[in-house]
Amino acid sequence: MKYAARTRWMVLLVGVAVVPGARVDLQAQDRRSMMRYFGDPNEYYTPPAFHGNVKYDGRFTFARIKYRGFAHFTDEGPGWSHDYPRSDGHLMKIMREVTALRPFVQRGDIVGGNIFALDDPELMKYPIAYFSEPGGWSPNDKEVAGFRNYLLKGGFVIFDDFGEMRGFDQGDWLNTVTQMQRVLPGCQMVRLDASHPIFHSFYDIGLDVIGRTYRGIPAYYGIYENNDPKRRLLAILNYNNDIGEYWEFSDEGFDPIALTNEAYKLGVNYLMYALTH
Amino acid sequence: MANWLESLFAFLFKYRPAVFEKGDFAFGSPTSVIVLLLAGALVGVPAILTYAAVRGKSTRRDRWILGSLRAVAILLLVFCLFRPMLLLSAAVPQRNYVGVLIDDSRSMQIADVDAGDARPQTRGDVVRHLVAGPDSAIRKALADRFLVRYFRFSSGAQRIASADDVTFTGTSTRLGDAIEHARQELEAVPLSGLVVFSDGADNGRTPLGDELLSLRARSVPVFTVGIGRERFDKDVEIRRVEAARTALKGSAIVADVLVRQRGYGGQKVPLVVEDEGRVIASEEIALPGDGDLAPVRVHVALNDPGPRTLTFKIALQQGEQVTQNNVQQALVVVRDRREKILYVEGEPRSEMGFIRRAVASDSNLQLVTLQRTAENTFQRFDVDNGEELAGGFPKTREELFRYRGIVLGSVDASMFTRDQLQMLADFVGVRGGGLLLLGGRHAFGEGGYAGTPLAPAMPVVIGGEAVPDSLTFLADIKPELTPAGAASAATQIAGTEQKSSDRWKTLPAVTSVNFIRGIKPGAVVLVNGVVPTDGRTESAPVPVRRYEQPVLAYQRFGKGLAIALPIQDTRLWQMDASTPVDDPTFVTFWRQLLRWLTSDVPNRISVASASDVAGVRDPIALTAEVADSAFVMRNDARVVAHLTAPSGTTRDLPMEWAVDRDGEYRATFTPEEAGNYEVVAEVDATAAPAGSSARAAADTTRGRRSDATYVRVNAATESSREFVDAEMRASLLQRIARETGGRFYTPANVASLPEDIALSKRGVTVVNQMDLWDMPFIFLMLVGLVCAEWAYRKKRGLV
Repeated sequence: MKYAARTRWMVLLVGVAVVPGARVDLQAQDRRSMMRYFGDPNEYYTPPAFHGNVKYDGRFTFARIKYRGFAHFTDEGPGWSHDYPRSDGHLMKIMREVTALRPFVQRGDIVGGNIFALDDPELMKYPIAYFSEPGGWSPNDKEVAGFRNYLLKGGFVIFDDFGEMRGFDQGDWLNTVTQMQRVLPGCQMVRLDASHPIFHSFYDIGLDVIGRTYRGIPAYYGIYENNDPKRRLLAILNYNNDIGEYWEFSDEGFDPIALTNEAYKLGVNYLMYALTH
Repeated sequence: MANWLESLFAFLFKYRPAVFEKGDFAFGSPTSVIVLLLAGALVGVPAILTYAAVRGKSTRRDRWILGSLRAVAILLLVFCLFRPMLLLSAAVPQRNYVGVLIDDSRSMQIADVDAGDARPQTRGDVVRHLVAGPDSAIRKALADRFLVRYFRFSSGAQRIASADDVTFTGTSTRLGDAIEHARQELEAVPLSGLVVFSDGADNGRTPLGDELLSLRARSVPVFTVGIGRERFDKDVEIRRVEAARTALKGSAIVADVLVRQRGYGGQKVPLVVEDEGRVIASEEIALPGDGDLAPVRVHVALNDPGPRTLTFKIALQQGEQVTQNNVQQALVVVRDRREKILYVEGEPRSEMGFIRRAVASDSNLQLVTLQRTAENTFQRFDVDNGEELAGGFPKTREELFRYRGIVLGSVDASMFTRDQLQMLADFVGVRGGGLLLLGGRHAFGEGGYAGTPLAPAMPVVIGGEAVPDSLTFLADIKPELTPAGAASAATQIAGTEQKSSDRWKTLPAVTSVNFIRGIKPGAVVLVNGVVPTDGRTESAPVPVRRYEQPVLAYQRFGKGLAIALPIQDTRLWQMDASTPVDDPTFVTFWRQLLRWLTSDVPNRISVASASDVAGVRDPIALTAEVADSAFVMRNDARVVAHLTAPSGTTRDLPMEWAVDRDGEYRATFTPEEAGNYEVVAEVDATAAPAGSSARAAADTTRGRRSDATYVRVNAATESSREFVDAEMRASLLQRIARETGGRFYTPANVASLPEDIALSKRGVTVVNQMDLWDMPFIFLMLVGLVCAEWAYRKKRGLV
């Protein structure tokens, strides 16, 4: 999410939209008004840089989750599409450079990876997924069921780019927890400390990484299978962080190199952990 | 020859066919008869010439016919005048011995001999009636001519005072041993022959060839008397059960149950498997056609450790003639240990995570994983300690051979040195380990394995150069179970064979990036893969019309097992949208596959018995193998088998090196108690190996023990072996008789047995002249010829 490009009214609108109750009211009351600006909230937004998915061929391909509607809309589209496709492509290049992974990076106009809805059967072929701005996510029952199956069968998801905005969580956390309760009823977000293996799966990472300046202090949460920390980690949540944005601007000097490096380390570790555990 | 035919023959020709077979033909006429005949010819020839010159009313044809009839009649008379006879060597009464061997096994209790309206007689009753009763004609006839020695036999042969001393309680039938025993015991006396009363249901483990050869060389004829029916009317039997001798706890094994029936063709009956009285599997089976021996596969899950005696039962059917052969036992040793498998993965990929997860909660599998994460960087998972694999892939045979299985993932051949590749091949061929080769961008031909020392171990034909990064081939593959796969325990992914087969049909397609050029001769494809109608086949190195490749294939390579699974994403079987969340297929497949990988992997010291189920006092052969840490077979060890009887008493049995096989040691023991015998082989720690003291110090086999193996010993009353394949085996008894110069009888024609033995030309004999001129046949011929001449004349008006 490129903060500099936002307009004030859009921040307010999106901020209100992520509060679940308010969102529902808004959808009910002013649906036509939203459609006039952004299109149908029950449809998927198509990023201009999206040129289709590459066919599955077994190699690791970055899978970004999309959701319906236009919550957290900016000039990059709804929250799920923020930083696409540059962040995805940059991370894949880094993975190829520093690890033995040989992921999909680019083929023609298709850069970085694929985009899937949660109820897309094709998603099941990609056991690791990236989910940007879950604060604006409001899945229907089919998506909830699809996501539940994905996670329980062996999928792993990285939630990123959600949390406080200038010291105030406008509902990102609440919405994420609420929707995840629909996906995995009773699931608990367990705060992870620096000793967790995911922070040592490739690089040894401390958790003193500074997050986005507009977010609060980063915190990392995990969701375990059956809420048992000894079992499989189904999801990691980068609360108050936006590592995707570091990846996106890593070739522009927009963020300090040290922070960008830390963001890449987190990305590399997440993927390596998910691939090997 | 049928009885009535033989009787007719004896009536016409005065003697039975056997007499003609044994006797030598000769003429016994004195010289004066020849002179007389010459004189007769001098007188007769002019008479015949005169006779021929007479024309009268007769035609030339009439004269020929009448002349021929008269001539044949005269020749027949001349033949009689020459006094034809048979010269026959017959045993001198009471100077020769005969050994009578009576089958004393339990199969003689089978009541399958018709006795008119009464209930069927047992085979034993028939034998008693023939040779044991005071009114027995055979017994009397034998006693009149010979000195008779009786033996009873089952697992061994034993001399008895009379034929009354049989009990029919023996637990096995060893015809060859019995005949050889009797021959040896009667070797020093003039022996006219041996008589065997048996159903021929031999269940000795050795063929009869040697014994028969020995008898033939010594010209000892064996006369066999087949007791019982060659075909039962109604019977269901479990002939044999073939199952793995050992299994890892939690494994499912496939037991092949060989079933045969008569009279119940096409019926469905339940087959139940019990473990110590507890039903652990049940399957309804369709009985095969009459007399056909058909295997029925039963899946048995083994969750309790230790020696498990599995009992396979088919319920008794209405009217069965033999009730004891519906049960068979198999002993399976269920080991509760952790099989250590090394998994080497060359690139981070989800497949590895899914496989590890599938076996993570399996307490019997330890998947030690060496994961390459970056250039010269590895991560280790599930290692025992910090030193294990600290230097990467093992560099010595000792280090590598500690594992019982190896899984090679998508890892380039170039990651290994040539020595390491040779070690991997030796791991399979020499150590006897299991090697599983997974598909991936850096596996098989695409991983550069063509032409390496490991290539011969692979069950598939590969080719091409190593491909560093790019994708050179891709095919969507739909798995299809082959007939061999349906029968294999490795592919059982559901509770029963049918369910498993059905599940394979619905498994989602996977992908392969390894172009497989073919299957090695001798390899077996368990699961084949075809490209579905809407599937892709891209960038094949050579044109392919309808590409197929194995999904799962294996071959035995040397002492070990090499399995190919050239698929890069079996995880789709779990992840696919069509697969229910709680579907256990993927987990079951991998656990079964890795159990199979390590199922037959030998330890450095191992011991096995020739049979898993035996009877009390049945000799049991033991075989041990001894190898050092590099799995080089050791011939200089001193090996002892520790036997623990069911009562807890122990006994040490020295094992001798079998000169014909490296590292193999053998011994035999005879169990005296019913129950499970435990056998452990140990290399004697106190005995120093031959050679230098340095070698002795380095000898790591000393004091090592094998895993325990077990032998189930059944009491005589428990054993069903005697009732299996228990129809009277006439072919075997006929063969024994034929090859030794004896004769085969049934109770119906056994009356001639004493006389046949007397004519066997064995022992102390005297030559008898047996006249043939007075055969009724000659008289009938003469009368017939004269009558025919008369009738012809009458018909032609020549009288």
